[in-house]
Amino acid sequence: MPGFSELLIVVNPTREVTREGMLSIVMPWLYAPWPDAKEKGIIETEIEGGTLRALLTGLSARYRQANVDLELINPGTNDLDFDYDVLVNGKNYVALAGGLDAKLKADDTVKVRILWRWDG
Amino acid sequence: MLDQSELIRYNRQLIIPDFGEDGQSKLKGSHVVIVGVGGLGCASATYLTAAGVGHITIVDFDTVELTDLNRQILYWEEDIGKKKVEVAQRKLSRLNPLIQITPVFAKITEKNAPSLISGAQVVVDGLDNSASRLVVNSACVEHKIPYIYGGVSRLRGMITTIIPGQTPCLACLSPEGAGGLGVLGVTPAVIANLQALEAIKILTGRSPSLAGRLLLFNGDDMKFRVREIARNESCPVCSRYYSKKKRGKAN
Repeated sequence: MPGFSELLIVVNPTREVTREGMLSIVMPWLYAPWPDAKEKGIIETEIEGGTLRALLTGLSARYRQANVDLELINPGTNDLDFDYDVLVNGKNYVALAGGLDAKLKADDTVKVRILWRWDG
Repeated sequence: MLDQSELIRYNRQLIIPDFGEDGQSKLKGSHVVIVGVGGLGCASATYLTAAGVGHITIVDFDTVELTDLNRQILYWEEDIGKKKVEVAQRKLSRLNPLIQITPVFAKITEKNAPSLISGAQVVVDGLDNSASRLVVNSACVEHKIPYIYGGVSRLRGMITTIIPGQTPCLACLSPEGAGGLGVLGVTPAVIANLQALEAIKILTGRSPSLAGRLLLFNGDDMKFRVREIARNESCPVCSRYYSKKKRGKAN
């Protein structure tokens, strides 16, 4: 069942990031772990430059303020960290023209999901 | 009751406050099943053997290959082509002849999982794919046996301890991601030793630290991040057991 362990972000003209539609939140730390966002189910944020990278960087900074170390962009590679995957409108970010630097537009849906480890 | 040889062998852990002879005796009377004796299973099996877990069952259907030797420390060049469980059993028994090691040469399936884990106090994950892990997860939930998930790739690893009836199970979390991404040899050793520590805590009556929590190890920046995780009320695997419990309470 999709969505249970993902952060679903809908970009809209009011610059809201939402976690609507989740039936059950199994990773509470991922879902806006600060009081006003928890209450509304919405993170209000501004994306400087309007790119996917800016969104992810901004989110990391916001989470850091809530003492959650969500480092989506790896500082060593300047690319998405190996622990996460990002889909924009269902398409993996690597398939977007511009990749992480792709411009987001209203109603785009961005999914951040954690990648599990299966090797042994 | 520990004999003189055991008192000497386990001295360094016997002198730990709150562990002592009582903890050691609990380990001696315990049965752990390790499913998969690859990079993770070799390390967890080695430390659980050394710690004195009385009975360890090791399950694997594979033979030793040269590509295993960067991380599967129970196997050496001379073992290539041999069954992993037989090589592991022989070496673990030499490390600690006071305990019982039962090798099972089998691939874990939905059909055989219940019998393979039967009688275990803890199941330790040493597998290398998601499908088999979800099979083990289901069997452990159904039979109410704690299951310590561990997984690795490259320099990253994850662990959570699943206590049926209390914590989310693996299926609750809809885990996604690919396998076969490569493994630096020391990464499974880091994760497997934490799994072994969780197992020892459970076996000796302590609270496991990663029940309802997901530990993410990042060897690139050397950070351990621990996250809370919660049950999925509509989990296809564990929710029916919670529902039964609730119905039972209502009645």
